[in-house]
Amino acid sequence: MKTKKERSMYPVWFVLPSLIIFVVFFLWPIVSSLYYSLTVWNFETAKFCGLDNYKLFFSEHSMSSSVVHTLIYAFGTSALKVILAFFIAIFLTSKIKTKGFIRSAVFFPNLVSMMAVGLAFSYMMHPTKGLLNMPIQALGGTPIDFLGDPKTALLSIILTDVWKGLSISVVIYIAGIQSIDKTYYEAASIDGATGWQQLKHITLPLVAPSQNSIIILSLIGGLRSFDLIWAMTGGGPGFSTDVLASVIYKQYAAGFYGLSTAGNVVMLILISVIAFPLQHFLNKREEAIQG
Amino acid sequence: MKKKVLSLILAGTMTLGLALTGCGGSDGGGSGSGEGTPAAEDAGSDESSGDSGDKPYAGVTLKWWAGNAENNPGTQAVMEAATEKLGMEFEVEVNPGGSEGDNIIKTRMASGDLPDFMAYNSGSKLYDLNPSRGFMDISDWEIVDKFDDAFLSSVTIDGAVYGAPQSSTQAGAVIYYKPDYEELKLEVPHTWDEFVDNCKTLADAGKTPVYFTGGETWATQVLFLGDYYNIAAANPTFADDYTEGKAKYADVPEATRSWTKYEDLVDYLNADKSAATVTDGNFAIATGEATHWFILTQQLPLILENVEDPDDIGVFGVPGDDADDHGLTVWEPMSWYVNKDTENVDAIKAFFEFYYSEEALDLYFGTYGANGPSCIKGYELPDSVCSAVRVDMQKYFDDGKTVPALEYQSPIKGTTCEQMTTAVGLGQMSGEEAAAMYDDDCKKSAVQLGYDWE
Repeated sequence: MKTKKERSMYPVWFVLPSLIIFVVFFLWPIVSSLYYSLTVWNFETAKFCGLDNYKLFFSEHSMSSSVVHTLIYAFGTSALKVILAFFIAIFLTSKIKTKGFIRSAVFFPNLVSMMAVGLAFSYMMHPTKGLLNMPIQALGGTPIDFLGDPKTALLSIILTDVWKGLSISVVIYIAGIQSIDKTYYEAASIDGATGWQQLKHITLPLVAPSQNSIIILSLIGGLRSFDLIWAMTGGGPGFSTDVLASVIYKQYAAGFYGLSTAGNVVMLILISVIAFPLQHFLNKREEAIQG
Repeated sequence: MKKKVLSLILAGTMTLGLALTGCGGSDGGGSGSGEGTPAAEDAGSDESSGDSGDKPYAGVTLKWWAGNAENNPGTQAVMEAATEKLGMEFEVEVNPGGSEGDNIIKTRMASGDLPDFMAYNSGSKLYDLNPSRGFMDISDWEIVDKFDDAFLSSVTIDGAVYGAPQSSTQAGAVIYYKPDYEELKLEVPHTWDEFVDNCKTLADAGKTPVYFTGGETWATQVLFLGDYYNIAAANPTFADDYTEGKAKYADVPEATRSWTKYEDLVDYLNADKSAATVTDGNFAIATGEATHWFILTQQLPLILENVEDPDDIGVFGVPGDDADDHGLTVWEPMSWYVNKDTENVDAIKAFFEFYYSEEALDLYFGTYGANGPSCIKGYELPDSVCSAVRVDMQKYFDDGKTVPALEYQSPIKGTTCEQMTTAVGLGQMSGEEAAAMYDDDCKKSAVQLGYDWE
């Protein structure tokens, strides 16, 4: 009897430290933010107001467009990263001479901070003095106002994000491709399969686990992205690149703490609603391919 | 195993050491500021008693906090003079300004971590801050008698005076490059139509009529905010009605005009209008790259840094529809606020007494220049201040054609104002649309501030 009891308590001591950290720094903030999202509060007092903050948040005029922008941004960056990174990874795992150098060159953008990338690109995209517009003007074209024109602003930020975030996806793909057993390729080439067939029928199905991590990671990253957009346009011009996170930040900056907390809860729910079913679906697909 | 124990001990001593030196540092600072004064006086009396009388605050370090605009050569010169005269040292922390700066000050106020004194806005933004929890009521200080009533009303909440003017008043107006006007024989416009005609003439002559800074959105609001004189002239009760939710921008014709004025200018803006910054604007006006700029006159000293002849730069108020009633919308200056928990009240009091002496004011305005007429009663700006302030702006004050900006008359301001003025200015939204959207935005602010709008 006694030994049984000791055995049941023993592992708890190992879990306890991380459990305390989890509760204090993860669970408690989520629960308390749920409460604060139902109040009008400053740092000292909180007045309960029911669901008013949520009503106000959804009646925000920039709200619906910001949800659309968030989805375009998340799916756009995610798709581009998944597709481009796959081909770069294929290239970097093939027999090329300067593999080491190119791999580090591809990884380099990831070492620079998001803010620095955003500022550097916004200077490069300056409508009259920008580096990107100089060749266009030299060739006699009309300069493109990358970040000042609502039609191109969001796309310009998406491409910058892809430039910066591609490398992580490439690294994950490379790891996935290298872990594929070489005997598959040998067997296939003996059977006379072409390079394209090998790519389609061996590499592609077998990197599915890495691909799934990339999709999930980049999608969630895209849904809650804020820093790059803030550095490049601040949500502007007007509201044309406003995403959920930047709307929430602006409300916080205006001192509407309850409202912005409600926005964060909405964002948490939105990300969960998209990410969990997607992960479930991707896992199913992975099992189907490999099973 | 031994290595592990050793590394643990090492890590432990290092953190302990850090903690100890940290405590020691703050302890030292505390005693330095608290007891430093008598100690310094003792030292002084040992050597030469005259020294201690001259510099009663030697050894005191005052920490202050301000944006780049306030931490200017003028302020620095006054502080150097104060160090020489009174002995206290100053240590500045520069605040990023804008909504980011607001966040920092709100957070630090809530956590009781404010510097000894700091610069912040007067008017509705001060009201938003709920200053009684962090700032000292200075209504019994002697310097308060020197400030004019318009300024005092912008820093008084529930009978308590919190602020002292950092600089002079300023206006939200048009700053323009006079040589272009002389070249094309243009007159200063007194109505909006005349202004647009001038823009057309300038554009036909190959000039950039109006500079627009979409890269720094706060500055795009100035046409809208500076047009308030014209709204108030036609609707004297607008501010109160607006605060109570009865007057809407979409309904009052003059108020809608404030938004549609942006539309009239869309074709007359600089090529890099979507990305240009305020620093670009300073340079563009100073060199005549553009002719007009709707901006706060706090930029005047910075524009004058790049200008050939200070008299090339002029100022006029945002024109309305009545040529006989052309006025200026005026902002009270940024203010100095004192931390209510500071240990150095006497030193701060002495510093501010010096700051508002004629000597220090001359030093400040002589070194840096002025943004507009001073709000110190009976003080005349030195002759070195540019004619844009002493002649162009002073005329509106002398004629009584000034009105305080709406933010001094109503606590409500829509939070996405600057995004909307940018969007309308770049031609992405119509003025009427923006006016209606802005009304919604104001409603949200009003609800958060506890006003009952329907």
